[in-house]
Amino acid sequence: MVTKTEENQLNRLESQVDNAGGGAWEYLCLVRKLKLRRSDKVLKHGLSILNNPSKRSALGPEEWTLYEQVAVAAMDCQSLDVAKDCIKVLRKKFPDSKRVGRLEALLLEAKGSWELADKAYSSLLEDNPLDQTIHKRRVAMAKAQGNIPGAIEWLNKYLEIFMADHDAWRELAEIYVSLQMYKQAAFCYEELILSQPTVPLYHLAYADVLYTLGGLENLQTAKKYYTSTIDLTGGKNTRALFGVCLCTSAITQVTKGKSKEEKEGSQVQSLAAKVLEKDYKQRAPDKLPQLTTALKSLTLSS
Amino acid sequence: MALGFAIGVFGVLILFHAAYSTVQYRGLLKITEEEFSGPPFNVVTELSLGLVLCMWAALTVPGKFLSIHPDSEENRIVSLPANLDFMIFNHRGKVFPVEMDLKLKQ
Repeated sequence: MVTKTEENQLNRLESQVDNAGGGAWEYLCLVRKLKLRRSDKVLKHGLSILNNPSKRSALGPEEWTLYEQVAVAAMDCQSLDVAKDCIKVLRKKFPDSKRVGRLEALLLEAKGSWELADKAYSSLLEDNPLDQTIHKRRVAMAKAQGNIPGAIEWLNKYLEIFMADHDAWRELAEIYVSLQMYKQAAFCYEELILSQPTVPLYHLAYADVLYTLGGLENLQTAKKYYTSTIDLTGGKNTRALFGVCLCTSAITQVTKGKSKEEKEGSQVQSLAAKVLEKDYKQRAPDKLPQLTTALKSLTLSS
Repeated sequence: MALGFAIGVFGVLILFHAAYSTVQYRGLLKITEEEFSGPPFNVVTELSLGLVLCMWAALTVPGKFLSIHPDSEENRIVSLPANLDFMIFNHRGKVFPVEMDLKLKQ
């Protein structure tokens, strides 16, 4: 989870490193810790450290983690020879390592030779049948080949064994959303919220899925989850604020013909609208008139 | 920082002095065979002064306190980590030209 301070620190280090101000190693450590995908920058600055023998020896035993990080970044940027060289160096240093074996299979995957990669993964799994990362790579391979139902099947089998892996639940939820199977995606997000209730972004995604499903109950639950997101982020999440406004207007549209129950919902909507206007005035004042007309049309149509 | 540390040491010394005077007071009471109901009034004031000084030092010496609210400006979660375990490599970035000077020197 990337907090605001970590994001500020990351941006500062990134601008510093891009303008040749040093601090490349701290940037790479931060990217590794936050598990971000900044492959082009990692490749450029990682190689600048690795090609400089004095900086390389200054790292000590961390040198090998850097080789691994640069190898994966090179595969992502399609510089496969750089990746092959890094893996060769690692293989020379650690001849019997399963981790290096995984990297070699990853390289086969990046080259596009799916059958060879599949064989490599199966042989690695024979030695170690409960290796989580290899199971996940099989799912990723199925997804990369376009075999989405196969990926779902593998992922479901994986989750039957490793039910606590929230990355896998998130991946499954995103696959279901891409296939428009929203009920199953809602189930996955519910699992995520159960295991990590303090992460507001899961609440937000769940509310989005419920709002897409539609229907009065789903809209009311979606509004509740949008408001809990606003609570957990201190009111700074613009998407949740918009979600509250849209949900309220959708609910009043659905209940228009039914019995006239006076609901308290308009209070939340007006508060959210006020916060949005203040935020826009501060950050994007030229878009403020569009926002006010949009919000007015929402309340008028209800 | 050094002032806070010095005040902390001073507060601890005051507490030790108050303890020593209480022990001496008890010894005196044993000689006169009276009951020990509590330390005398000036020892109590000394104790409270030592308490205040030590607490002040304990709060100022360690440095800046960090926020614990999950929704405060610095602690709020801004984005989730990119799911690197499921990363795939045949994305549209494959068609970008590779920079020729990126090589690993042996």
